[in-house]
Amino acid sequence: MSALLVFIVSAAAALVMVMLFGILLLRRWYQERCRQGDRANLAAITRSYMRRVAGQIDEDASAKWSDDLRLAAVSHIHLLLRGGERHRLMQMAELDGLLRATLAKSHSWRTARRIDAIRLLQQFGSEACIARLREIFSRDRSMAARLEAAFALAAVHALPPPRETIRLLGIFERKVNRLDRALFRASAPDYPEQMALLLDDPISNEHRALIIDALGWSGDANALPLLEAASRSEYPEIRSAALQAAAQLALPSVEPWVMERLQDPVDFVRLQAANCCASLGLNDAIPALHLLLEDESLWVRLRAEHALEVLQYQWLNLDAKGLLA
Amino acid sequence: MTLNELQIASANAILFLAFGCFLVVAARNGISLLQLLLAAWVFATRTKPGRSSIELWRRYGDLALPVSVIAPAFNEELSIVESVKSLLSLEYPHHEVIVVNDGSKDDTLGALIRGFDMEPHERMQIAALQKTQIRGTYRSRRYPNLFVVDKENGRKADAANAGIGFARTPLVCVIDADSIIETDGLLRAAEPFMHDDGRLVAVGGTIRIANGCEIEGGALRRIGVDTKLVPRFQIVEYLRAFLSSRVANAHTDTLLLISGAFGMFRRDVLIEIGGYRHDTVGEDLELVVRIHRYMREQKREYAIKFVPDIVCWTEAPANLAGLKGQRSRWQQGALETLQRHRRMIFNPRYGRIGMIAMPQLILEDVIGPPAEVIGYLVIPAAIALGILDPMMALAFLGVTVLFGTGLSLGSLALEEVQLRRTPTARDLYRIGEAALLENFGFRQMNLIYRLRGIRSFLRSDTKWEAVPRIGFNQPS
Repeated sequence: MSALLVFIVSAAAALVMVMLFGILLLRRWYQERCRQGDRANLAAITRSYMRRVAGQIDEDASAKWSDDLRLAAVSHIHLLLRGGERHRLMQMAELDGLLRATLAKSHSWRTARRIDAIRLLQQFGSEACIARLREIFSRDRSMAARLEAAFALAAVHALPPPRETIRLLGIFERKVNRLDRALFRASAPDYPEQMALLLDDPISNEHRALIIDALGWSGDANALPLLEAASRSEYPEIRSAALQAAAQLALPSVEPWVMERLQDPVDFVRLQAANCCASLGLNDAIPALHLLLEDESLWVRLRAEHALEVLQYQWLNLDAKGLLA
Repeated sequence: MTLNELQIASANAILFLAFGCFLVVAARNGISLLQLLLAAWVFATRTKPGRSSIELWRRYGDLALPVSVIAPAFNEELSIVESVKSLLSLEYPHHEVIVVNDGSKDDTLGALIRGFDMEPHERMQIAALQKTQIRGTYRSRRYPNLFVVDKENGRKADAANAGIGFARTPLVCVIDADSIIETDGLLRAAEPFMHDDGRLVAVGGTIRIANGCEIEGGALRRIGVDTKLVPRFQIVEYLRAFLSSRVANAHTDTLLLISGAFGMFRRDVLIEIGGYRHDTVGEDLELVVRIHRYMREQKREYAIKFVPDIVCWTEAPANLAGLKGQRSRWQQGALETLQRHRRMIFNPRYGRIGMIAMPQLILEDVIGPPAEVIGYLVIPAAIALGILDPMMALAFLGVTVLFGTGLSLGSLALEEVQLRRTPTARDLYRIGEAALLENFGFRQMNLIYRLRGIRSFLRSDTKWEAVPRIGFNQPS
């Protein structure tokens, strides 16, 4: 009796399994059958949008095209267009109601779906999208979604001032990671003064180094005195960040204090200074870099060797160009 | 003792054994089911990675830590140039390729020198982790991020160690010579390091079988599924192992294995622990277990993660002869690792690794295979002695097959819904078919190969059986 029961239960389970697998197969088969048609439709949608973007008459437009296909086409074309054309494309996508579905998706209870929506909102980049992104950034229950929204806002230069970003993401209340660094760097060109003001706050050295590093990405020459002061800080992390920022700013006036750091007592600062000399093409640093080839730290020796190779290569290139001229 | 008493005693012993085997099988299946459910939950709630590599590049281009890809090569004269070209063309902001010619008997080194305009170049080795002599180092005049190390033969672990010793980047990615990395595989594998606050030490990724795929110039051109059954059975196994077990284990911080075909590690940690061990045939498993042990003994916070996306394709043995050597070696390697790190087993000092992951490895690799063999022998004996109803035995067999097939189909469904790298509905059907058929012969053959591995372990066999490869694009 019990064997019979096991057989019946097993047969029922096998049947369910076969049915589920069958559904999976049918789904795939149906999608494959539709693929050819979808491709043709996608090409037609792409053509249609391109014509509309160029201001031409669009005779092929069809009401049968699904929102998903239109969105796929827009996502693809969006990567190929720049400036005004891209802006017009996004306006048209909004007029076609594509944004509506994305905005609805951004309210999903599933974090993963909201993050998908954030990525699309970033593509659209209109006022309505930025407003929704700001809302997610400030109020979403998931930190991952807030961080994603912050990156989307940074990409469209709509991130709020750094103090707000720090508060909303709790950056100063946890360990800094590479994404925080990227966010600060992305924010720096829009808010160089606010960044500088943050340095007056009583913050940890790790966070101070984060801000100093970001100043290098501001492209603002007014940050130079701050960087120079930071290069003489008593904390090596801050000195190192100042050197990284100097390499990024790439302004010639940093040369004296960058070369000064080649004699820094801390090895990773010397290492960063060697990197900086190579990035800035400081040929005057060559003798000091030669001395670093005998440094006690292996990594400093390796970086000095690399910096010398880079400088030598640049020199040879200049030489060759001079000869050709 | 009378004959009757003897019969009763042997019947009891057989029943006891049968019950023991049933418990082991039930425990293994229960764990697999839990893993599948957990993996499904992880997949359902995860943030999907960027759709395109352009998106990934745009997001992480400035953040990605430099990586050295270490490719040990032995007798790869015919394919090495194409393979290295493919590695050099990987989409990653700063990556260096270090090819280690492991004492090849053919002209692998000559092919590299000619193919990439290499010249001898002295480069300081930061840590000498290898046991053999370095014969020379070369750099390319055309590709500044290509470096070749020529050394005496010493197996993959030794070659990888030599490469790690020459790497100068914070991350190293150790691969097999025949691994085909997805063009954005490095970026995807490095993604967890972008979110890292300094704890992450290693990342593994999903590996798929390249048999049946179209490979050109060392790169994947078209995904396919081999028509032969042995590679198809292995596709099913890989789906179960990577999309179910490893995803679940990584989620519960109990991941013990990062496949030798593709693994990304922090270079400094690998150097601290001395790189791969030379005296085991399962060096990839041993390395990850040793990382766990070292970090926990040092009381350092650390994490080992797994990327469920496919990062790499590898050639699997195309026939049973090739499979025999590979599976025996895997089994032997697992037992060697367990023996070497036995003090971690059920030791609360090692946290979840000691209390969950290592006992699970024992169940899978020490108790599992003999229990399965005993089960196959005891059940017919019990039927013959009349102590087990044949119908009941058949029902039990049916449930076992059903369960195994269900787990495989579950993993296949995960792949279809989440990753969708099976090319067509027809291929999906063929993999599903293999999920059912593997229960009738393939699993039993695998069991024999594993027993062979146990025998090699007991004999302390150190012989390395190379897995015969037929190469890509051979008619199947």
